[in-house]
Formats: sequence, structure tokens, C-alpha cells
Amino acid sequence: MTKETAARSEFVSRRKFLVAAGAAGATGLAGCSGSSSDASNDASGGSGDSSGGGNSGGDSGSSESEGLDTSLLNAEGSSTVYPISNKGSSYWNSNAPPSDGEYWGSNSESTVPGWEELGEPDMMIADYFASLAGFEPTEQRSEPPFPTTVGLSHSGTGCEAVVDGLVDIGNSSGPITAELDWSEERRDEEVVDHVVGRDGQPVVVSSDVSDAGVAQLTGEQIRQIFQGEVDNWSDLDGVDYDQEIYVIGRSEGSGTDTAFRLNMLGDADAPMDVDTRQGQNQQVAQLVQQNDGAIAYMALAFTSEEVTPIGIDFEGTLYEPDPDAENTIFDSEYPLNRDLHMYTKITEDTPSGTDRREAAFLNMFLTDFGQQLFVEDVNYIPLPTADIEAEREKLSDWIDY
Amino acid sequence: MTTDTERVASGVRGALRRRVRQGRDFVDETEPAALAAVVVAVASMAATVVGFLLVSSLTVLPFMVAVAAIGYGWIRHQDVTARVVTLMMTVSTILILALIIVFIFMESIPVIAYESATVFGVSVPGLRMFIEPRWDAVSEPVRYSMVPMIHGTVMVTAIATAVAAPLGVAAALFLSEIAPPMVREAVKPGVEILAGIPSIVYGFIGFTVLSPWASTQFDLNGQGTYLFVGIVVGLMALPTVVSVAEDALSSVPESMKSGSLAIGTTDWQTMTSITLPAAFSGVSAAVLLGVGRAIGETMAATVMLRGVPRLTDPLYNVFYGQETLTSIIARNYGDADGLQMDALFVAGVILFVTVLVISIGSQYIEWRMSRKFGGEI
Repeated sequence: MTKETAARSEFVSRRKFLVAAGAAGATGLAGCSGSSSDASNDASGGSGDSSGGGNSGGDSGSSESEGLDTSLLNAEGSSTVYPISNKGSSYWNSNAPPSDGEYWGSNSESTVPGWEELGEPDMMIADYFASLAGFEPTEQRSEPPFPTTVGLSHSGTGCEAVVDGLVDIGNSSGPITAELDWSEERRDEEVVDHVVGRDGQPVVVSSDVSDAGVAQLTGEQIRQIFQGEVDNWSDLDGVDYDQEIYVIGRSEGSGTDTAFRLNMLGDADAPMDVDTRQGQNQQVAQLVQQNDGAIAYMALAFTSEEVTPIGIDFEGTLYEPDPDAENTIFDSEYPLNRDLHMYTKITEDTPSGTDRREAAFLNMFLTDFGQQLFVEDVNYIPLPTADIEAEREKLSDWIDY
Repeated sequence: MTTDTERVASGVRGALRRRVRQGRDFVDETEPAALAAVVVAVASMAATVVGFLLVSSLTVLPFMVAVAAIGYGWIRHQDVTARVVTLMMTVSTILILALIIVFIFMESIPVIAYESATVFGVSVPGLRMFIEPRWDAVSEPVRYSMVPMIHGTVMVTAIATAVAAPLGVAAALFLSEIAPPMVREAVKPGVEILAGIPSIVYGFIGFTVLSPWASTQFDLNGQGTYLFVGIVVGLMALPTVVSVAEDALSSVPESMKSGSLAIGTTDWQTMTSITLPAAFSGVSAAVLLGVGRAIGETMAATVMLRGVPRLTDPLYNVFYGQETLTSIIARNYGDADGLQMDALFVAGVILFVTVLVISIGSQYIEWRMSRKFGGEI
């Protein structure tokens, strides 16, 4: 009897297992075939679907929240744009109340930057920015009107993902025209480019080089170094330091590499002759710290005592790393600065390129508050007022400024 | 010649007839309900595969049918169903392998066409990848030569083998022939744990400690040398070599060693003239497996190498480490597109073929060994 019971229970558990495994397999398969078979379908499921409120959304003051798409807003792409995008997303998802003071709003101890310019709204952070685009506030901590998430990959991957409709926002540190080899016409037809900040690409040297007195180079000297025309620091005019130059480049064809070739060497296809290529800013910073005679270019956020930015003399104008100088490497005129893009896709439902959720989220970055917290605080360069106004214009379908 | 062909043909015919008879017997013996269940399961599973290949969203339907049929068969006719399910599992493994092979070859076709070279007036696709050493994915002329990466892989593998083979065989000999049983019991699992350390840990130590040290000591411009990548990869392959070689050595029949000792040789003489030669095929299989591991090693090579595909000057200069077949894929897959991406698949194809040859080689050696000693291993 006991034996029989044991046998039966084993029987049942096996069957259960089989059923469970089968179901899991089926779900996986369905998910797989769904996403790869019909990307545009997916896009309308994920980002469009605004037929209820979307079409009548020209006047965004109306707060009809039923039928609004409040599904997860997802972004993916460049590791350079990631800090901005991810910090924004974290703030958004926390939906902090205005009494918080540190992340949003104001209290007796502290006030977030740009709070006055926002008009000191008595709403939670995501509620406030979402309500500008017509969403209903939830008035719940950690429960924004719609959640957001940011994935980390590469510029090219982010661009492809947004074009294929896999994500709502594609983060890219290079223009999509260069990343995907598109014409400008095609870009204007398929995506909208939202610039949220600027990245300075300072040229950095290792501490032994800056100790040897190298504080600035001319654009021409940097071109010579990165094209392999000089091999030793002492070959450069006005440098007295006998040490081979260790030239560090970035991954072939990456956004950073393309931007550098374009801005510094004059052409996106310009030849380069470097000693090593690294994919990530962290690796570059580590290599500059570990090796003598190193020169590299990388995102501003990763400079330090041992990884010192140098000034560059471009055609007579000296851009200095000192923020108080007349011309600095933080200026938008500095040739190695590049725009940080968040691309959204133009679909049938959203001919203007952004849907309501994207507009609500992107608008957060285009305020003094957003520029300061999400751009300047992670060591990127905030946009000048004129650029912010131009960017806001792209969201004006949904938001009244 | 004709008789040969005829014999083969008749052999095939005989085998076919046997199969058909077996199949008929199976159909005759099996209950109709069980037969129906397995036929439905197999047919719907085949439909699932077709649907999957066509990327149809209806794929889930035949899959559900197959699951239901298998579920029913399992409850009512477990014996027959189990036979069919295990057969399907085996077929699916082979199918997946075949799909992977087809995919990587297909993906690499465009760049092979791009890299055609003309020899004696005949255009040979892909040849230029192996005769010109230039790799540049961005500036003109754009070339995707595999020569620098093949060179890098050969260098790293050679150095790794030079590290892993003598150390590994010596350690295996000690463990199997010299060490007292207690030491062996303690050390052997230890060696196997060594194999479990993730490769990024080795790579990280190499990047932050070994490479800067080598750069200073040998007065190199910057860091990244084939020498140290080879040494690190050799250490990583060591546990495989020790473990497999030890198995081969300890499987040499005791009677052979005793016989040798009985005619008055020393332990050392027995080892070098009896045990090692007898286990030679097993030991070389161990070294080959280690080599396979060295060729496929990615993470440590990626973080330690320079990532600029070019030949070192001179070719045997091990103090500059540029790129290997695996590291170029790991470093560039994210940023590459178009032909550059296809070129990475070519690196994958070369790796695949190499590892295939090595694994077939070591299996051949194992087969010879088991024939020699009557299937002990």
C-alpha cells in the first residue's frame, strides 16, 4: 500500500514537472517568435496604442487618463548616455514627494536645483512631469504614472533597437546617421533626435606626461599623435620629455571612435594608428593610470588626478580644462564636444515621432532641474537655453510650454 | 573497384531492409493508441521546428499539441513514449548544432565575397583575408584580414601549451605514480577546483597586475603582451591537462608496471619507459584538450590584449599582444555592423573549424588508446 502511494506521488510529481516545463518552453517560444516576427506590431503594443487619448492629444491640457498608455517605457543604448538616462529613470520611478528635499522638492534642510524655475509644484516628481503631458497623478511613492527602465548596451545597438521597435528610446552617443550609416533624409523620416546633454571629449594624458610640463597641445599635434606620425613625446615642438607615446584609442567603429575621427581628424573614415583600443571609459582610465606616456580621449566623467585633461589649441583658440578660463573644454564650441542623443521612432500613431509617455519623460531632462541633476551632476555639459527651447519644440504636441 | 561499390551498395541495401523490418516490427508490436500518440508527437514537433524556422507566431500551437501528446503518451504508454522522447532529444541536439553551423557560415558569406582575391586569373572568395595582413574596418582601404588574429591565436596557444603541457604532465605523473594516496586525494580535487575559477578573474589579475609589471620590466610601450596572455591561459588550461593525463596514467594496467619492476628497473625507469609510453595517447589527448581550451579562451585574452589587429614585428615578438580570434569577437560585437560584423563571424568559423579538428583529433587518439588496451578507458 505504502509502496503504491509512493509510486503514485512520484507519478504525479513527474507529470507536474512535465506540464510546468512544457508551459515554460511554450512561453519562451511564443515570446521569441512574437518579438522577432513582427517588430512593428510590437512597437504599437509597447509604445503606440494611444488611439484613445493620443489622437485628440494635441491639446494636452485635457486630463483624460482613461485609455492612455501607461505601459513600461524602456530605453537602451550607449554607455555614455546611460548615466543621464538611468539617473533620470531612477528619479522618475521613485516618484518622490515634494517634501523630500534631496531628490525632489524642498524642505527646511535642502532644495533641489531648479526648483523655483519649475514653479514649486505641489506634486510628486513623476506625477508632475507626467501630468504636464496629460497623465493622471498616482500620488503614490514608488508608483509613477508609468514606470521606466534603461538598458545598457552600445550606441549602435540602441539605435537598432529603437528602429526595430524593441525599445521606446534609443540612447546614442553618436548621430544615428553615423551609427547606422543612414542618410539625413532617412533619419528625418524614421526617427526624432532628442539631444539631452553634451559630452566633452577631453584629451587626457597620464600623470608623468603632465608632470613633464605638457598642459596643452595643438589640434595638429594631436592629429599627428593619433595618426602615428610621431612616436615620442620629445618629437613634439616645445615638449622636453623622452618617452614613447602610448596612444589609446576606442573600439573601432564605436560612437566615441567615430566622433573623434570626425571632429579631430577631419573625417569619420580618417585613418588612425594607435597602440591599443578599448571599449569602455573605465578601461581607458585604468590604462592611463597604469602606463607611462599615455594619451587618450574619453568621457569627461572619468577624468581624475592621475588622468589629467589637457588644453587644446584649435586654430588659435585655446580651450582649457579650467572652467573659469575664457574658452573651456566645456564650451559647445569645443570641437570634441558631442551631443548625447535619445532617439524616438516615428510610427503611424505618432507622426511627430514621440508618444505621450516619451514626451513626458524626455521633458524632465529639458528643465533646469533635469539639466543640473541628470547632466551636470554626472559630469556632462548642460545644454544652453536656446538648445533647450529647440528641443522642447519637438515635444510641443503633448506639452504646453 | 566495381566490387567495392557493389559491396557498399548491397551493404546499404541490407541495412535499409533491416531498418524497414525493425520499423514494421515496431509498428506491429505497439498498441495503436500508443502509436498514434507518438506519431502525433513527432509530427507536431516537426511542425514546431518548421514554424520556428519560418518565425511564425503560430509555432506555439503544434508545440502545445506535441506537449499534450507526449503528456498523454507518458501517462498511458510510458515505455514507447520514453523511447520516442529520448530519440527526439538526440535529434534536437544534432539539429541545433547543424543550425548553428549553417548560421555562422551564412552570416560570413558577404565578407568572404568582399574579400575575394584573384590568383592566376581566377577569383577566389575570401582568399584576401588570408594573404594580406591589413585589418581596418573604418578607413580606406577597408580590409578584414584574419591573418593578425590567426597569428595572435597561434602565439597565445603555443605559449599556453609550452606552459601547460610540461607542468601538467609532470603534475599528473607525480599524482598518479609518486604521491602517497593521501596527497593524491587532497590535491586532485584541488586541481579540479582550479578549473572552476572564472576566466575573468585571471584576466583581471593579468590586466591590473601582470601587464603593468611586464610593461615596466621589459620597458614596453604600454601594456598587453602575448607572453603573459599565453602564461595566464596556460595556467587556466593546466587543470584540464592534469586531470585528463592523470586518468590516462593511472589506467595503465598495474601488471605492466609490476612486470617492469620485477625485472629490476627503478621506479623512474618504469615511469619513463613503461607508464608514459603506454599512456602516451591519453597524455597527448590531455594536452590537446588543454590546447582546445587555450584557443577558445576569450575573457582573459580580451582584457589583457591591446585590441589592435596587426602583426607583431618581428613575427615571433611575444612582448606585444594585439588580438586573437576570440578577443576580436568579444571586443567588437557591440559596435560592429555590416561587413565588420560578418568578419567577426568569419573569426567564429575559423575557431569552429579549429576546435572541431582538435576534438576529432583527441577522440581519434582516445579511440586508438582504447583499442590498444581493450577498452579500459
